[in-house]
Amino acid sequence: MSNAPKIYVVDNGGQWTHRIWRVIREIECETKLIPNTTPVANIDADALVLSGGAPRIAWESPKLGLCTDYIKHFKGPILGICVGHQLMAVYYGGKAGPSEIPEYGLAKVEVLEEDDLFKGIPREFLAWESHNDEVKAVKDFAILALSENCKIQAIKHKTKPHYGIQFHPEINDTEHGEEIYRNFVKVVKQTA
Amino acid sequence: MFNAEKFIQEQVKELANTIKGNAIIGISGGVDSTTASLLVNKAIGRNLTCVLVDTGYMRKNEIEKNEKMLGQLGLSVLVVDAKQRFYEKLEGVIDPEEKRKRIGELFIRVFEEIARKENAKYFVQGTIAPDWIESGGGLRDKIKSHHNVGGLPEKIEFQIVEPLRDLYKDEVRIVGKALGLPVEVYERQPFPGPGLAVRIIGEATPENAMIIREACAIMEEEIEKAVQNKEMEKPWQYFAVLLPCKTVGVHGDIRAYGSVIAVRAVESKDGMSASYSQIPHKVLERISIRITNTLKDHVSRVLYDITNKPPGTIEYE
Repeated sequence: MSNAPKIYVVDNGGQWTHRIWRVIREIECETKLIPNTTPVANIDADALVLSGGAPRIAWESPKLGLCTDYIKHFKGPILGICVGHQLMAVYYGGKAGPSEIPEYGLAKVEVLEEDDLFKGIPREFLAWESHNDEVKAVKDFAILALSENCKIQAIKHKTKPHYGIQFHPEINDTEHGEEIYRNFVKVVKQTA
Repeated sequence: MFNAEKFIQEQVKELANTIKGNAIIGISGGVDSTTASLLVNKAIGRNLTCVLVDTGYMRKNEIEKNEKMLGQLGLSVLVVDAKQRFYEKLEGVIDPEEKRKRIGELFIRVFEEIARKENAKYFVQGTIAPDWIESGGGLRDKIKSHHNVGGLPEKIEFQIVEPLRDLYKDEVRIVGKALGLPVEVYERQPFPGPGLAVRIIGEATPENAMIIREACAIMEEEIEKAVQNKEMEKPWQYFAVLLPCKTVGVHGDIRAYGSVIAVRAVESKDGMSASYSQIPHKVLERISIRITNTLKDHVSRVLYDITNKPPGTIEYE
Protein backbone atom coordinates (compact mmCIF):
# COMPACT_ATOMS: atom_id res chain seq x y z
CA MET A 1 0.00 0.00 0.00
CA SER A 2 1.25 3.50 -0.76
CA ASN A 3 1.14 6.07 2.02
CA ALA A 4 -2.47 7.03 1.38
CA PRO A 5 -4.78 4.08 1.94
CA LYS A 6 -7.80 3.68 -0.31
CA ILE A 7 -10.96 3.79 1.77
CA TYR A 8 -14.20 3.73 -0.19
CA VAL A 9 -17.54 4.85 1.17
CA VAL A 10 -20.46 2.56 0.33
CA ASP A 11 -23.54 4.73 -0.21
CA ASN A 12 -26.62 3.46 1.63
CA GLY A 13 -28.44 6.71 0.98
CA GLY A 14 -27.65 8.58 4.18
CA GLN A 15 -27.87 12.33 4.67
CA TRP A 16 -24.28 12.21 5.88
CA THR A 17 -22.77 9.69 3.42
CA HIS A 18 -21.07 12.46 1.48
CA ARG A 19 -19.78 13.88 4.79
CA ILE A 20 -17.96 10.57 5.46
CA TRP A 21 -16.37 10.90 2.03
CA ARG A 22 -15.32 14.43 2.89
CA VAL A 23 -13.78 13.55 6.27
CA ILE A 24 -11.83 10.66 4.77
CA ARG A 25 -10.62 12.92 1.98
CA GLU A 26 -9.57 15.53 4.53
CA ILE A 27 -7.49 13.07 6.53
CA GLU A 28 -5.58 12.42 3.34
CA CYS A 29 -6.82 9.06 2.22
CA GLU A 30 -7.80 8.19 -1.29
CA THR A 31 -11.56 7.85 -1.34
CA LYS A 32 -14.67 7.71 -3.46
CA LEU A 33 -18.37 7.13 -3.01
CA ILE A 34 -19.57 3.84 -4.48
CA PRO A 35 -23.14 2.54 -4.92
CA ASN A 36 -24.03 -0.34 -2.61
CA THR A 37 -24.67 -2.41 -5.72
CA THR A 38 -20.98 -2.43 -6.77
CA PRO A 39 -19.82 -6.08 -7.10
CA VAL A 40 -17.18 -6.88 -4.51
CA ALA A 41 -14.79 -8.04 -7.26
CA ASN A 42 -14.78 -4.49 -8.70
CA ILE A 43 -13.74 -2.84 -5.45
CA ASP A 44 -9.99 -2.15 -5.36
CA ALA A 45 -10.03 -0.46 -1.92
CA ASP A 46 -7.99 -1.27 1.19
CA ALA A 47 -10.98 -0.68 3.45
CA LEU A 48 -14.68 0.17 3.33
CA VAL A 49 -17.04 2.35 5.30
CA LEU A 50 -20.69 1.29 5.07
CA SER A 51 -22.66 4.52 5.36
CA GLY A 52 -25.91 5.10 7.17
CA GLY A 53 -29.17 5.56 5.32
CA ALA A 54 -32.94 5.66 5.50
CA PRO A 55 -33.54 1.86 5.09
CA ARG A 56 -35.04 0.27 8.22
CA ILE A 57 -32.97 -2.70 9.31
CA ALA A 58 -35.85 -5.02 10.18
CA TRP A 59 -37.80 -4.85 6.92
CA GLU A 60 -35.82 -2.92 4.31
CA SER A 61 -32.44 -4.65 4.32
CA PRO A 62 -32.71 -5.47 0.57
CA LYS A 63 -32.17 -1.73 0.03
CA LEU A 64 -28.71 -2.20 1.48
CA GLY A 65 -27.70 -3.88 -1.78
CA LEU A 66 -24.54 -5.95 -1.61
CA CYS A 67 -23.44 -4.78 1.85
CA THR A 68 -23.80 -8.31 3.25
CA ASP A 69 -21.53 -9.51 0.44
CA TYR A 70 -18.90 -7.00 1.49
CA ILE A 71 -18.99 -8.17 5.10
CA LYS A 72 -18.67 -11.76 3.88
CA HIS A 73 -16.08 -11.44 1.10
CA PHE A 74 -14.24 -8.10 1.27
CA LYS A 75 -10.71 -8.69 2.51
CA GLY A 76 -9.86 -5.42 4.32
CA PRO A 77 -11.23 -3.66 7.40
CA ILE A 78 -14.86 -2.50 7.37
CA LEU A 79 -16.46 0.22 9.46
CA GLY A 80 -20.26 0.25 9.53
CA ILE A 81 -21.99 3.52 10.44
CA CYS A 82 -25.60 3.63 11.69
CA VAL A 83 -27.55 1.18 9.50
CA GLY A 84 -24.18 -0.20 8.31
CA HIS A 85 -23.35 -0.95 11.95
CA GLN A 86 -26.76 -2.57 12.48
CA LEU A 87 -26.35 -4.76 9.41
CA MET A 88 -22.95 -5.93 10.62
CA ALA A 89 -24.37 -7.00 13.98
CA VAL A 90 -27.25 -8.84 12.28
CA TYR A 91 -24.94 -10.56 9.78
CA TYR A 92 -22.95 -12.19 12.59
CA GLY A 93 -26.06 -13.43 14.39
CA GLY A 94 -26.96 -10.41 16.53
CA LYS A 95 -30.29 -8.55 16.67
CA ALA A 96 -31.34 -5.07 15.50
CA GLY A 97 -34.69 -3.31 15.26
CA PRO A 98 -36.69 -0.20 16.18
CA SER A 99 -35.32 1.75 19.16
CA GLU A 100 -37.53 2.15 22.16
CA ILE A 101 -36.22 5.70 22.50
CA PRO A 102 -34.69 6.82 19.18
CA GLU A 103 -31.97 9.47 19.41
CA TYR A 104 -31.93 12.55 17.17
CA GLY A 105 -29.22 15.08 17.77
CA LEU A 106 -26.93 15.38 20.74
CA ALA A 107 -26.18 12.41 23.04
CA LYS A 108 -23.46 11.66 25.55
CA VAL A 109 -21.43 8.60 24.58
CA GLU A 110 -19.57 6.61 27.21
CA VAL A 111 -16.61 4.50 26.12
CA LEU A 112 -16.53 1.05 27.75
CA GLU A 113 -13.51 -0.28 25.97
CA GLU A 114 -10.96 1.88 24.16
CA ASP A 115 -9.87 -0.79 21.66
CA ASP A 116 -8.67 0.63 18.31
CA LEU A 117 -11.43 3.11 17.54
CA PHE A 118 -11.39 5.14 20.74
CA LYS A 119 -7.64 5.28 21.36
CA GLY A 120 -6.64 8.63 22.85
CA ILE A 121 -10.24 9.79 23.12
CA PRO A 122 -11.91 10.77 26.44
CA ARG A 123 -14.11 8.17 28.12
CA GLU A 124 -17.10 10.48 27.68
CA PHE A 125 -17.83 12.77 24.76
CA LEU A 126 -20.77 14.34 22.94
CA ALA A 127 -21.88 12.77 19.69
CA TRP A 128 -24.62 13.40 17.13
CA GLU A 129 -27.18 10.73 16.50
CA SER A 130 -29.96 10.24 14.00
CA HIS A 131 -31.49 6.79 14.17
CA ASN A 132 -34.83 5.04 14.38
CA ASP A 133 -33.31 1.56 14.80
CA GLU A 134 -30.49 0.17 16.90
CA VAL A 135 -28.49 -2.96 17.66
CA LYS A 136 -30.18 -4.95 20.44
CA ALA A 137 -27.75 -7.86 20.83
CA VAL A 138 -24.41 -8.93 19.38
CA LYS A 139 -22.66 -12.23 18.84
CA ASP A 140 -18.85 -12.43 18.59
CA PHE A 141 -18.52 -8.67 19.09
CA ALA A 142 -17.17 -6.60 21.97
CA ILE A 143 -19.35 -3.65 22.90
CA LEU A 144 -17.12 -0.57 22.98
CA ALA A 145 -19.49 2.27 23.86
CA LEU A 146 -23.02 3.12 25.02
CA SER A 147 -25.33 6.08 25.58
CA GLU A 148 -28.21 6.57 28.00
CA ASN A 149 -30.86 5.43 25.53
CA CYS A 150 -28.86 3.09 23.33
CA LYS A 151 -26.75 0.46 24.98
CA ILE A 152 -24.76 -0.57 21.92
CA GLN A 153 -23.16 2.52 20.39
CA ALA A 154 -19.99 0.91 19.04
CA ILE A 155 -18.79 -2.64 18.43
CA LYS A 156 -15.66 -4.49 17.35
CA HIS A 157 -15.60 -8.05 16.03
CA LYS A 158 -13.59 -10.43 18.20
CA THR A 159 -11.41 -11.80 15.40
CA LYS A 160 -12.02 -9.75 12.24
CA PRO A 161 -11.23 -6.06 11.53
CA HIS A 162 -14.96 -5.28 11.46
CA TYR A 163 -16.29 -2.31 13.42
CA GLY A 164 -19.67 -0.66 13.89
CA ILE A 165 -20.66 2.77 15.20
CA GLN A 166 -24.25 3.85 15.81
CA PHE A 167 -23.55 7.60 16.14
CA HIS A 168 -22.04 9.81 13.44
CA PRO A 169 -18.35 10.67 13.85
CA GLU A 170 -18.42 12.38 10.42
CA ILE A 171 -20.54 15.21 11.80
CA ASN A 172 -18.65 18.35 12.84
CA ASP A 173 -20.51 18.63 16.10
CA THR A 174 -19.49 15.14 17.20
CA GLU A 175 -16.52 15.62 19.51
CA HIS A 176 -13.37 13.74 18.42
CA GLY A 177 -15.19 12.48 15.30
CA GLU A 178 -12.23 13.02 12.99
CA GLU A 179 -9.94 11.25 15.49
CA ILE A 180 -12.20 8.20 15.38
CA TYR A 181 -11.81 8.06 11.59
CA ARG A 182 -8.05 8.59 11.99
CA ASN A 183 -8.00 5.62 14.38
CA PHE A 184 -9.79 3.55 11.76
CA VAL A 185 -7.17 4.61 9.19
CA LYS A 186 -4.47 3.39 11.60
CA VAL A 187 -6.20 0.00 11.69
CA VAL A 188 -6.24 0.01 7.88
CA LYS A 189 -2.52 0.74 7.72
CA GLN A 190 -1.72 -1.95 10.27
CA THR A 191 -3.84 -4.55 8.54
CA ALA A 192 -2.29 -4.00 5.12
CA MET B 1 -7.27 19.96 3.96
CA PHE B 2 -9.36 21.37 1.16
CA ASN B 3 -7.17 22.94 -1.52
CA ALA B 4 -9.01 25.91 -3.05
CA GLU B 5 -6.32 26.85 -5.58
CA LYS B 6 -6.28 23.35 -7.02
CA PHE B 7 -10.06 23.22 -7.10
CA ILE B 8 -10.25 26.54 -8.95
CA GLN B 9 -7.64 25.50 -11.52
CA GLU B 10 -9.35 22.19 -12.26
CA GLN B 11 -12.84 23.67 -12.44
CA VAL B 12 -11.89 26.60 -14.67
CA LYS B 13 -10.24 24.18 -17.08
CA GLU B 14 -13.23 21.85 -17.07
CA LEU B 15 -15.72 24.71 -17.47
CA ALA B 16 -13.77 26.13 -20.42
CA ASN B 17 -13.91 22.68 -22.03
CA THR B 18 -17.60 22.10 -21.31
CA ILE B 19 -19.16 25.45 -22.16
CA LYS B 20 -19.09 26.25 -25.86
CA GLY B 21 -20.67 29.62 -26.57
CA ASN B 22 -22.94 31.61 -24.28
CA ALA B 23 -24.07 30.66 -20.81
CA ILE B 24 -26.35 32.19 -18.22
CA ILE B 25 -26.22 31.71 -14.47
CA GLY B 26 -29.05 32.02 -11.97
CA ILE B 27 -27.57 34.33 -9.38
CA SER B 28 -28.95 35.50 -6.05
CA GLY B 29 -25.93 37.38 -4.74
CA GLY B 30 -25.36 34.72 -2.08
CA VAL B 31 -22.07 32.92 -1.51
CA ASP B 32 -22.79 29.88 -3.69
CA SER B 33 -24.11 31.47 -6.86
CA THR B 34 -21.70 34.41 -6.73
CA THR B 35 -18.71 32.06 -6.29
CA ALA B 36 -19.98 29.88 -9.16
CA SER B 37 -20.35 32.94 -11.39
CA LEU B 38 -16.76 34.06 -10.70
CA LEU B 39 -15.49 30.58 -11.59
CA VAL B 40 -17.43 30.53 -14.86
CA ASN B 41 -16.47 34.11 -15.59
CA LYS B 42 -12.82 33.09 -15.23
CA ALA B 43 -13.43 30.29 -17.73
CA ILE B 44 -15.55 31.99 -20.41
CA GLY B 45 -15.44 35.72 -19.58
CA ARG B 46 -18.04 37.93 -21.29
CA ASN B 47 -19.95 34.95 -22.64
CA LEU B 48 -21.58 34.68 -19.21
CA THR B 49 -24.71 36.62 -18.30
CA CYS B 50 -25.74 36.66 -14.63
CA VAL B 51 -29.50 36.66 -14.19
CA LEU B 52 -30.78 38.06 -10.90
CA VAL B 53 -34.48 37.33 -10.51
CA ASP B 54 -36.61 39.47 -8.23
CA THR B 55 -39.07 36.85 -7.03
CA GLY B 56 -40.81 39.11 -4.56
CA TYR B 57 -39.44 36.87 -1.82
CA MET B 58 -36.03 38.49 -1.48
CA ARG B 59 -34.88 40.25 1.67
CA LYS B 60 -35.14 43.99 2.26
CA ASN B 61 -33.29 46.07 -0.39
CA GLU B 62 -31.48 42.92 -1.47
CA ILE B 63 -31.94 43.16 -5.23
CA GLU B 64 -30.53 46.71 -5.43
CA LYS B 65 -27.58 45.89 -3.15
CA ASN B 66 -26.71 42.69 -4.97
CA GLU B 67 -26.99 44.22 -8.43
CA LYS B 68 -24.46 46.84 -7.40
CA MET B 69 -22.14 44.33 -5.71
CA LEU B 70 -22.16 41.97 -8.72
CA GLY B 71 -21.47 44.84 -11.10
CA GLN B 72 -18.48 45.83 -8.98
CA LEU B 73 -17.12 42.30 -9.31
CA GLY B 74 -17.03 42.85 -13.07
CA LEU B 75 -19.95 40.54 -13.85
CA SER B 76 -22.56 41.33 -16.47
CA VAL B 77 -25.86 41.37 -14.60
CA LEU B 78 -29.42 41.29 -15.83
CA VAL B 79 -32.20 41.93 -13.29
CA VAL B 80 -35.58 40.39 -14.05
CA ASP B 81 -38.66 41.60 -12.19
CA ALA B 82 -40.84 38.50 -11.83
CA LYS B 83 -42.61 39.43 -8.59
CA GLN B 84 -46.14 39.22 -9.96
CA ARG B 85 -45.50 35.91 -11.69
CA PHE B 86 -44.18 34.33 -8.49
CA TYR B 87 -47.03 35.71 -6.34
CA GLU B 88 -49.58 34.33 -8.79
CA LYS B 89 -47.82 30.97 -9.04
CA LEU B 90 -47.98 30.55 -5.25
CA GLU B 91 -51.56 31.70 -4.79
CA GLY B 92 -53.40 29.32 -2.49
CA VAL B 93 -50.39 27.00 -2.07
CA ILE B 94 -49.76 25.80 1.48
CA ASP B 95 -47.89 22.51 1.10
CA PRO B 96 -44.14 23.22 1.42
CA GLU B 97 -43.07 20.72 -1.25
CA GLU B 98 -45.66 22.09 -3.68
CA LYS B 99 -44.30 25.59 -2.99
CA ARG B 100 -40.74 24.53 -3.69
CA LYS B 101 -41.72 22.73 -6.90
CA ARG B 102 -43.68 25.68 -8.25
CA ILE B 103 -40.83 28.04 -7.44
CA GLY B 104 -38.27 25.70 -9.05
CA GLU B 105 -40.37 25.44 -12.19
CA LEU B 106 -41.01 29.16 -12.55
CA PHE B 107 -37.31 29.90 -12.02
CA ILE B 108 -36.45 27.58 -14.90
CA ARG B 109 -39.11 29.11 -17.17
CA VAL B 110 -37.76 32.59 -16.50
CA PHE B 111 -34.19 31.41 -17.17
CA GLU B 112 -35.28 29.66 -20.38
CA GLU B 113 -36.76 32.92 -21.68
CA ILE B 114 -33.49 34.73 -21.00
CA ALA B 115 -31.40 31.87 -22.44
CA ARG B 116 -33.37 32.08 -25.70
CA LYS B 117 -32.75 35.82 -25.92
CA GLU B 118 -29.07 35.43 -25.09
CA ASN B 119 -28.70 32.38 -27.33
CA ALA B 120 -27.28 30.43 -24.36
CA LYS B 121 -27.23 26.63 -24.35
CA TYR B 122 -25.79 26.33 -20.86
CA PHE B 123 -27.35 27.17 -17.55
CA VAL B 124 -25.06 27.39 -14.53
CA GLN B 125 -26.30 26.93 -10.97
CA GLY B 126 -24.56 27.36 -7.63
CA THR B 127 -25.80 23.97 -6.41
CA ILE B 128 -23.77 22.62 -3.47
CA ALA B 129 -23.68 19.19 -1.82
CA PRO B 130 -26.48 19.65 0.75
CA ASP B 131 -28.87 20.71 -2.05
CA TRP B 132 -28.77 17.37 -3.86
CA ILE B 133 -28.29 15.35 -0.67
CA GLU B 134 -31.46 16.76 0.92
CA SER B 135 -33.41 16.57 -2.34
CA GLY B 136 -33.12 12.78 -2.23
CA GLY B 137 -33.39 10.40 -5.16
CA GLY B 138 -32.48 6.74 -5.48
CA LEU B 139 -31.90 5.35 -2.03
CA ARG B 140 -31.75 8.71 -0.34
CA ASP B 141 -34.90 9.92 1.33
CA LYS B 142 -36.21 13.33 0.30
CA ILE B 143 -35.93 15.82 3.17
CA LYS B 144 -36.93 18.78 1.00
CA SER B 145 -36.85 19.55 -2.72
CA HIS B 146 -34.22 22.21 -3.23
CA HIS B 147 -35.54 24.47 -5.99
CA ASN B 148 -32.37 23.93 -8.03
CA VAL B 149 -32.43 20.10 -7.84
CA GLY B 150 -35.60 18.32 -6.73
CA GLY B 151 -37.78 21.28 -7.71
CA LEU B 152 -36.68 21.27 -11.35
CA PRO B 153 -39.28 20.51 -14.03
CA GLU B 154 -38.79 17.35 -16.11
CA LYS B 155 -38.29 19.11 -19.44
CA ILE B 156 -35.55 21.70 -19.57
CA GLU B 157 -34.22 23.44 -22.69
CA PHE B 158 -30.59 23.84 -21.70
CA GLN B 159 -27.71 21.89 -20.25
CA ILE B 160 -27.17 22.39 -16.53
CA VAL B 161 -23.64 23.03 -15.22
CA GLU B 162 -22.92 22.83 -11.48
CA PRO B 163 -19.26 23.48 -10.62
CA LEU B 164 -19.75 23.48 -6.82
CA ARG B 165 -21.76 20.24 -6.59
CA ASP B 166 -19.33 18.42 -4.30
CA LEU B 167 -18.60 21.30 -1.94
CA TYR B 168 -20.12 22.36 1.35
CA LYS B 169 -20.74 25.93 2.41
CA ASP B 170 -17.47 26.29 4.34
CA GLU B 171 -15.47 25.14 1.31
CA VAL B 172 -17.41 27.46 -1.02
CA ARG B 173 -16.48 30.34 1.27
CA ILE B 174 -12.79 29.44 0.93
CA VAL B 175 -13.11 29.26 -2.87
CA GLY B 176 -15.03 32.56 -2.93
CA LYS B 177 -12.35 34.23 -0.85
CA ALA B 178 -9.60 32.90 -3.11
CA LEU B 179 -11.49 34.28 -6.14
CA GLY B 180 -11.53 37.74 -4.61
CA LEU B 181 -15.03 38.00 -3.17
CA PRO B 182 -15.34 40.76 -0.57
CA VAL B 183 -15.54 39.48 3.03
CA GLU B 184 -19.17 40.60 3.44
CA VAL B 185 -20.09 38.31 0.55
CA TYR B 186 -18.06 35.18 1.34
CA GLU B 187 -19.08 35.37 4.99
CA ARG B 188 -22.73 36.12 4.22
CA GLN B 189 -25.18 33.84 5.99
CA PRO B 190 -27.01 31.26 3.86
CA PHE B 191 -30.39 32.19 2.39
CA PRO B 192 -32.69 29.57 0.85
CA GLY B 193 -33.20 29.57 -2.90
CA PRO B 194 -37.01 29.86 -2.67
CA GLY B 195 -36.38 32.88 -0.45
CA LEU B 196 -38.86 34.20 2.07
CA ALA B 197 -41.59 31.99 0.56
CA VAL B 198 -40.32 29.11 2.73
CA ARG B 199 -40.15 31.35 5.79
CA ILE B 200 -43.89 31.87 5.56
CA ILE B 201 -45.62 28.78 6.88
CA GLY B 202 -48.87 28.79 4.96
CA GLU B 203 -49.75 30.91 1.96
CA ALA B 204 -46.93 33.13 0.71
CA THR B 205 -49.12 36.15 -0.07
CA PRO B 206 -47.54 39.54 -0.85
CA GLU B 207 -48.74 40.77 2.55
CA ASN B 208 -47.13 37.86 4.39
CA ALA B 209 -43.97 38.44 2.36
CA MET B 210 -43.92 42.04 3.56
CA ILE B 211 -44.30 40.93 7.21
CA ILE B 212 -41.55 38.35 7.10
CA ARG B 213 -39.24 40.62 5.09
CA GLU B 214 -39.49 43.22 7.83
CA ALA B 215 -39.07 40.66 10.64
CA CYS B 216 -36.00 39.13 8.97
CA ALA B 217 -34.49 42.58 8.50
CA ILE B 218 -34.98 43.37 12.21
CA MET B 219 -33.49 40.03 13.23
CA GLU B 220 -30.45 40.60 11.00
CA GLU B 221 -29.91 44.19 12.16
CA GLU B 222 -30.22 43.40 15.86
CA ILE B 223 -27.94 40.36 15.68
CA GLU B 224 -25.33 42.25 13.67
CA LYS B 225 -25.49 45.19 16.10
CA ALA B 226 -25.01 42.83 19.06
CA VAL B 227 -22.03 41.22 17.31
CA GLN B 228 -20.52 44.63 16.71
CA ASN B 229 -21.01 45.51 20.40
CA LYS B 230 -19.27 42.25 21.29
CA GLU B 231 -22.33 40.94 23.12
CA MET B 232 -22.15 37.69 21.14
CA GLU B 233 -20.43 35.83 18.31
CA LYS B 234 -22.03 35.93 14.87
CA PRO B 235 -24.23 32.85 14.41
CA TRP B 236 -23.94 30.74 11.26
CA GLN B 237 -27.48 31.67 10.25
CA TYR B 238 -30.18 33.87 11.81
CA PHE B 239 -33.65 34.66 10.56
CA ALA B 240 -37.37 34.92 11.32
CA VAL B 241 -40.28 32.70 10.30
CA LEU B 242 -43.98 33.58 10.13
CA LEU B 243 -46.13 30.90 11.74
CA PRO B 244 -49.70 30.15 10.60
CA CYS B 245 -51.46 30.90 13.87
CA LYS B 246 -52.72 33.87 15.81
CA THR B 247 -52.58 34.71 19.49
CA VAL B 248 -54.04 37.36 21.75
CA GLY B 249 -52.12 40.42 22.88
CA VAL B 250 -52.81 43.77 24.49
CA HIS B 251 -51.89 47.12 22.93
CA GLY B 252 -52.59 50.25 25.01
CA ASP B 253 -55.45 48.62 26.91
CA ILE B 254 -56.97 47.33 23.70
CA ARG B 255 -57.19 43.70 22.66
CA ALA B 256 -54.84 42.66 19.87
CA TYR B 257 -55.00 39.44 17.88
CA GLY B 258 -52.00 38.86 15.65
CA SER B 259 -49.58 36.38 14.13
CA VAL B 260 -46.68 34.62 15.76
CA ILE B 261 -43.09 35.04 14.58
CA ALA B 262 -40.42 32.48 15.41
CA VAL B 263 -36.82 33.66 15.39
CA ARG B 264 -34.05 31.17 14.85
CA ALA B 265 -30.26 31.34 15.04
CA VAL B 266 -27.98 28.32 14.62
CA GLU B 267 -24.33 27.34 14.74
CA SER B 268 -23.05 25.04 12.01
CA LYS B 269 -20.11 24.46 9.71
CA ASP B 270 -21.66 22.92 6.66
CA GLY B 271 -25.41 23.03 7.27
CA MET B 272 -25.69 19.24 7.52
CA SER B 273 -26.03 19.42 11.31
CA ALA B 274 -26.61 22.43 13.52
CA SER B 275 -27.17 23.48 17.11
CA TYR B 276 -29.30 26.42 18.16
CA SER B 277 -27.34 29.52 19.15
CA GLN B 278 -27.25 30.37 22.84
CA ILE B 279 -27.63 34.09 22.26
CA PRO B 280 -28.01 36.46 25.25
CA HIS B 281 -31.55 37.08 26.53
CA LYS B 282 -30.96 40.83 26.32
CA VAL B 283 -30.45 40.53 22.58
CA LEU B 284 -33.50 38.28 22.18
CA GLU B 285 -35.54 40.79 24.13
CA ARG B 286 -34.56 43.68 21.85
CA ILE B 287 -35.49 41.57 18.82
CA SER B 288 -38.85 40.71 20.35
CA ILE B 289 -39.65 44.30 21.30
CA ARG B 290 -38.70 45.67 17.90
CA ILE B 291 -40.64 43.06 15.93
CA THR B 292 -43.82 43.35 18.00
CA ASN B 293 -43.68 47.17 17.97
CA THR B 294 -42.74 47.71 14.33
CA LEU B 295 -45.17 45.08 13.09
CA LYS B 296 -47.86 45.81 15.68
CA ASP B 297 -50.74 45.44 13.24
CA HIS B 298 -49.61 41.95 12.25
CA VAL B 299 -47.56 40.32 14.99
CA SER B 300 -48.49 39.82 18.62
CA ARG B 301 -45.85 37.39 19.82
CA VAL B 302 -42.24 36.30 19.19
CA LEU B 303 -40.77 32.87 20.00
CA TYR B 304 -37.16 31.67 20.03
CA ASP B 305 -36.53 28.27 18.42
CA ILE B 306 -34.34 25.94 20.51
CA THR B 307 -34.28 22.92 18.17
CA ASN B 308 -31.03 21.41 16.89
CA LYS B 309 -30.60 19.72 13.48
CA PRO B 310 -31.37 16.86 13.66
CA PRO B 311 -34.17 16.55 14.54
CA GLY B 312 -35.19 19.97 13.13
CA THR B 313 -33.89 21.30 9.82
CA ILE B 314 -32.45 24.82 9.81
CA GLU B 315 -35.22 26.35 7.69
CA TYR B 316 -38.83 25.40 8.40
CA GLU B 317 -40.07 24.11 5.03
